Amino acid sequence: MLKQRKSFVLLSMLLVITVVLSACGNKTTSGGGSSTKDELVVAQGADPKSLDPHASNDQPSTRINRQIYNTLVVTDNNMEIQPGLAESWDQVDDNTWEFKLREGVKFHNGEEMKASDVVFSFDRMANSAEVAHIIGAVKSVEEKDDYNVVIKTEEPFAPLLAHLAHSASSILSEKAVKDAGDDYQSHPVGTGPFKFVSHDSGDKVTLERFDDYYGDKAKVKTLVFRNVPEGTNRTIGLQTGEIDIAYDVEPIDVKTVEGDKGLKLVKDPSLSSDYVGFNTKKAPYDNVKVRQAINYAINVDEIIEVALEGAGTPATGPINDKVYGYNSNLKGYEYNPEKAKELLKEAGFENGFKTTIWTNDNPVRVTIAEIVQGQLKEIGIDAKVEQVEWGAYLERTGKGEHDMFILGWTTVTGDADYGLYAVYHSSQHGGAGNRTFFTDPKVDELLDKGRTATNEDERLKAYAEAQELILEGAPQAFLQFKTHNAGMQKNVEGFELHPSGSHYLGSVGFSK
Amino acid sequence: MNSDVATKNNASTKTKSKKKRSQWSEVWRRLKQNKMAMAGLVILTILVLLAVFADVIADYDEVAIKQNAAVRLQGPSKDHWLGTDNLGRDIFARMIHGARISLMVGIVAVSIAILIGGTLGAIAGFYGGKVDNIIMRFMDVFLAIPSILLAIAIVGALGQNLFNLMLAIGVSSIPGFARIVRASVLTVKDQEFVEAARAIGATDTRIIIKHIIPNALAPVIVQGTLGVAGAILSTAGLSFIGLGVPKPRPEWGAMLSDGRQFLRNASHITTFPGLAIVITILALNLLGDGLRDALDPRLKQ
Repeated sequence: MLKQRKSFVLLSMLLVITVVLSACGNKTTSGGGSSTKDELVVAQGADPKSLDPHASNDQPSTRINRQIYNTLVVTDNNMEIQPGLAESWDQVDDNTWEFKLREGVKFHNGEEMKASDVVFSFDRMANSAEVAHIIGAVKSVEEKDDYNVVIKTEEPFAPLLAHLAHSASSILSEKAVKDAGDDYQSHPVGTGPFKFVSHDSGDKVTLERFDDYYGDKAKVKTLVFRNVPEGTNRTIGLQTGEIDIAYDVEPIDVKTVEGDKGLKLVKDPSLSSDYVGFNTKKAPYDNVKVRQAINYAINVDEIIEVALEGAGTPATGPINDKVYGYNSNLKGYEYNPEKAKELLKEAGFENGFKTTIWTNDNPVRVTIAEIVQGQLKEIGIDAKVEQVEWGAYLERTGKGEHDMFILGWTTVTGDADYGLYAVYHSSQHGGAGNRTFFTDPKVDELLDKGRTATNEDERLKAYAEAQELILEGAPQAFLQFKTHNAGMQKNVEGFELHPSGSHYLGSVGFSK
Repeated sequence: MNSDVATKNNASTKTKSKKKRSQWSEVWRRLKQNKMAMAGLVILTILVLLAVFADVIADYDEVAIKQNAAVRLQGPSKDHWLGTDNLGRDIFARMIHGARISLMVGIVAVSIAILIGGTLGAIAGFYGGKVDNIIMRFMDVFLAIPSILLAIAIVGALGQNLFNLMLAIGVSSIPGFARIVRASVLTVKDQEFVEAARAIGATDTRIIIKHIIPNALAPVIVQGTLGVAGAILSTAGLSFIGLGVPKPRPEWGAMLSDGRQFLRNASHITTFPGLAIVITILALNLLGDGLRDALDPRLKQ
């Protein structure tokens, strides 16, 4: 009896091993022999929140929506504005813009894109809690005829084009939205190079080439976005061949990908910067000297080396050189613990104080928090690191319950307005973006001026000065401008990083 | 302990206390013969010593949590016996300071569980009937919730610190101890010496504390030893998912979790804390098994 059972166990173990091994074998053959490969598998770190561009403004969603939808104008990979669904445009006066739409553009449901769809899309967007602020300056969108649209703003709004290139400004099919009713996000319809096929929540989104696309047709037939949260697993997926392009290769894995003969890695400065924000409403952070002291106490080079494995450059101010309006004269704060101690002493905190640093569970941010904790200890500040779940993190920092928190900001439009207004204008306190509750009337004035000025030099001057004041006011410890990257198979062709992080995939294919 | 109590308070005679003392030395004698159990005991003793003298071996502020980017991710060497982690901290120093947390949480959590669970179990077993029913059904409800889930809920609700961690793990293992104590109280309570005590007019409390508990202790000791192992694992588990001891205080589970990213480039960061957990649990289990054999009444003759 016992013997029988033993042999049964052995047999079943053998069976399991065989199955596992044969499964592995299959995978490698399908990954390797791919001369006629027509499916591009892209892995990113999170599931999209919604494929309705008016219901989401998170990067995982945007990265997919960019492939399904088009916008009136687009920013190319150098952040220059280019024609999109609008073939040309004209600024009639300070507050009026006229757009001429491309004719014969088809939605995925076969409808032709007309001015009425554009008007419908912007009306719908203006009623969305998530993204209405992006076109907050727009007063009205009117249809002149089928192919001409007039957009009016409340007051002169210089960065309008950059905002119209935001993925939330995508043009939706009026008919598709009305047909789908409340369930639109599971039946998204756009004009983009790929059309939606399916979304297995938490696992993957499958798209298919749209053959009636108005521009260059997509190179691959099927595009799959897989959700692979663990960074290391994205790299392993690349190495085993089950993933073609992995977004955001973890800093520690960059060398592995670069060193692999079958893989390549592209990297570029991005539009993102990281910072440690202070709650300027709360003591001791209401004292600018304390805020500056912490800026001096943080050794950013060490953070870049340890947490990012070198994938970044020290921040010189609130926005980086890829953003229009960047002030190249700023130098940022140097690492100077002596000066930090001096400033603390002047502020009356000679013996330091106790505080907390919040972070979400992003491993890089957790590491940054730990490094900052160690560095603050050197000047006598006893900080406690607390991990807060992402949803609660955004909510509670929005309410101002925090002391210090680690966050980043991506200036997706590539214009200083988007990078500064939401984060530093006192009208944006809390969840809108100004989580440090920074208030400086002079900065407010300059940011308003930059937004409404129609003269480019005047705008640049206002932003340059605003950046200086923000740096001095130090509502946050400026950490680094991040480099972003993507790892991919050697045979992937035509992939380029877009500074906003939402890369265009229509032109990506495989070499033979 | 128990023999002392017996000497002072038991009115019967010196001979009984002598007999009791010899009973425990008998257990010790049997335990000594079990090589595996002794190995477990030796390992545990070393661990406890390392934990107690952690500050002497490596200073907490200057070594265990001191970051040094220049020596990060180094393998084992003369300066850093077990290598350094991603922030350049010495892994050996962190491990012995981590042993403090693990052992302390293990022991305190199990003490909480034995104290509360044992009392409830003893009351339930001794009185039986309705009291028994109410207490044990309540325990059944607790048992229906997976203990790690319960611990997560408690830490999540009360906040993340060392005390709450010990409380969470302790509370979540109460029902197990309640059951064991109840079962062994049931086997003891009808024996003649209990009846004798009752006959001479001893109160219930006195009977439970002086007569029943000492005689029902054996399975609790075994379960307690194994329970410490379970508690250490739970601590590591909770720390792994970020609900353990706040950073930068080192804890084995948290060290595993932090090193996970570097598994393919610097595997020593995870290997050593992982080994520490395995060895500790193994030692505790060996000792627990040995104690069970040594205390087993069937071997007493």
